[in-house]
Amino acid sequence: MITKTIGCPKCQNHIEIQGNPCETKIITCPKCNVKGKFTFPGGQTKIKTTSGFNSIEIENLTKKYKDLIAVDNISFKVHKGEIFGFLGPNGAGKTTTIKAILGLIKRKSGVIKINGYDITKNEIQSRKEIGYLPERVSFYENLTPLQTLNFFCELKGHDKSLNKSLIKEVGLENAINRKVSTFSKGMVQLLGIAQVMIGKPSVYILDEPMAGLDARWVKIIREKIKLLNQQGATVLFSSHILSEVENICDRVAIINRGKLIAEDTVTNLSIYLKLKPQIKITVENLNGKIPAIIRDLKGIDSIEVKENILIVTCEPNVKTKIITILDKSGFNIVDFITIEPSLEEAFIKMITTDEGGA
Amino acid sequence: MIINPKIIYTIAKKEFMDNIRNKWIIVISLFYIVFIILSAYFTGGQAGENEIFGTIEATVGFAIFFTIILIPIISIILGYSTIVGEAETGSLSVVLAYPVKRVEVILGKFFGLGSILFVTPFIGFGISGIIIMASIGAEQALLLIIFIFLVILLGLMYLSFTILISAICKTRSRAIAGGLILFFWIFIYNILLQIAQLIVFDDLNSPNTLPDWIWASKIISPTDINIMAVENAFNMNQLAPDWMGMGFLLIIQFLWIVVPLLLAIFFFKRRDI
Repeated sequence: MITKTIGCPKCQNHIEIQGNPCETKIITCPKCNVKGKFTFPGGQTKIKTTSGFNSIEIENLTKKYKDLIAVDNISFKVHKGEIFGFLGPNGAGKTTTIKAILGLIKRKSGVIKINGYDITKNEIQSRKEIGYLPERVSFYENLTPLQTLNFFCELKGHDKSLNKSLIKEVGLENAINRKVSTFSKGMVQLLGIAQVMIGKPSVYILDEPMAGLDARWVKIIREKIKLLNQQGATVLFSSHILSEVENICDRVAIINRGKLIAEDTVTNLSIYLKLKPQIKITVENLNGKIPAIIRDLKGIDSIEVKENILIVTCEPNVKTKIITILDKSGFNIVDFITIEPSLEEAFIKMITTDEGGA
Repeated sequence: MIINPKIIYTIAKKEFMDNIRNKWIIVISLFYIVFIILSAYFTGGQAGENEIFGTIEATVGFAIFFTIILIPIISIILGYSTIVGEAETGSLSVVLAYPVKRVEVILGKFFGLGSILFVTPFIGFGISGIIIMASIGAEQALLLIIFIFLVILLGLMYLSFTILISAICKTRSRAIAGGLILFFWIFIYNILLQIAQLIVFDDLNSPNTLPDWIWASKIISPTDINIMAVENAFNMNQLAPDWMGMGFLLIIQFLWIVVPLLLAIFFFKRRDI
């Protein structure tokens, strides 16, 4: 049995839910009655680990390029079975960190462990645990998808007979005999996903898996990531676009200018960022004045009036109260809409503040 | 450090198959056939003899001026982007994220690309050799095999150095520049040698009176060493000092293959991908 705390997408209420690995439940928010589906992580594949709770552990990682400190003493942990979003603007140090995890670059300092294996002391073993997809990879142009997978399969010493079903699994069966050079970006990315799935590793590291793809492909890749996680794997993926990660990540870390500026659950992050929803209420008899009756309510951040529209920024749980009070006090409410806070804006704000402060 | 031969084989096979797929092997082999037959033809009936084709010795004497240009070009084209090109496209980082050692990658690439330099002269020179020997007789088959062997050595020396360039250079365009310098090295070396002679002796020495240090300096020019080995095998131009016998020339060529390859491994291990 797994216990999870999830945030209601509408009212931000925290709901504690329980379920079995891979089980999908329909959850109703006790406060605002919004219904939603939730699938518990974990399940099918037994995670091959030696010890511990963390799939990836990074301690005091620093990487310098001549005079530039690309990654400045960062530490974070990715827990087993979670989808971890690694966020930051372009050039923040995401790819450098990922490459350090894989041992592709020499680091100045820092200890990195994959499923408990130190990547320096147990180089080969630690890499057996990983499936890695770099940003905007282009595979060998003369090879077909099957030949590509067979090549990588041999490097891992795994059974090649499963590769055909892998290609089907990612939906490339119609292109199985085509050369990779004829593939679209999205198709190459799907082949990349098939490639990381070789030998069903327990840790997936995906660098900007959705960058440069159109909305349709982003959706497909996101589904694949969810699927990998549902099969029991840990997924770390990087992105510079928050909306790509906020719906599927259990936790996120935000990196900017080589420094880790936040590491938390998406829900906690929005609380930490003090994100509050806004309601726009159209009131017929408002006459351009703020009703005194709501001015003194607790949990209200700001009130604006534009002709007969009232814009209130407030705590999530105050929204309905405002409507009820206005209604009871004789205001004629014609319409109201709720504007949910965007993490995207908060993310940009956070980075800008960080840069301003530096 | 334990090296896994299976990984080396996998990478070598991929490199070899890649060049079969992009038809390089066919192109190079056809090129060899045409140019060996032409060499034989020009040294045969065209030179006033009765046969259509000249002897293998005469053919090799003619062909060597082409092989010393052609073989380095082929090696450089095959190898210049093998590391840096794959680093740029990202496929190298995928390979290195597998349980693979960097030394295995370099060796795999050397054996894979090297096997192309091995197979193509056998196909190209072999087929043309059979055609020529059908006309002039097969007595000199061994000489042809020796020539093929020395052509392969020349190719491997250049391949090894090209892989070193590819392992060091940060961009493909720099690797091309490196490849060009490597290709022109024989000319640069010989010009420098002539300048050195002019400075030391106020004149160019005749080939008969070259001092030992000039002969010794040839070890830094792989093509010159290879030409000397061909001349030695075919008893042409025997002007080199005695200590530069076939054994010495083979050792130097062997070092020209091994040392750059070891350096490539050294630099590749330290490279950020």
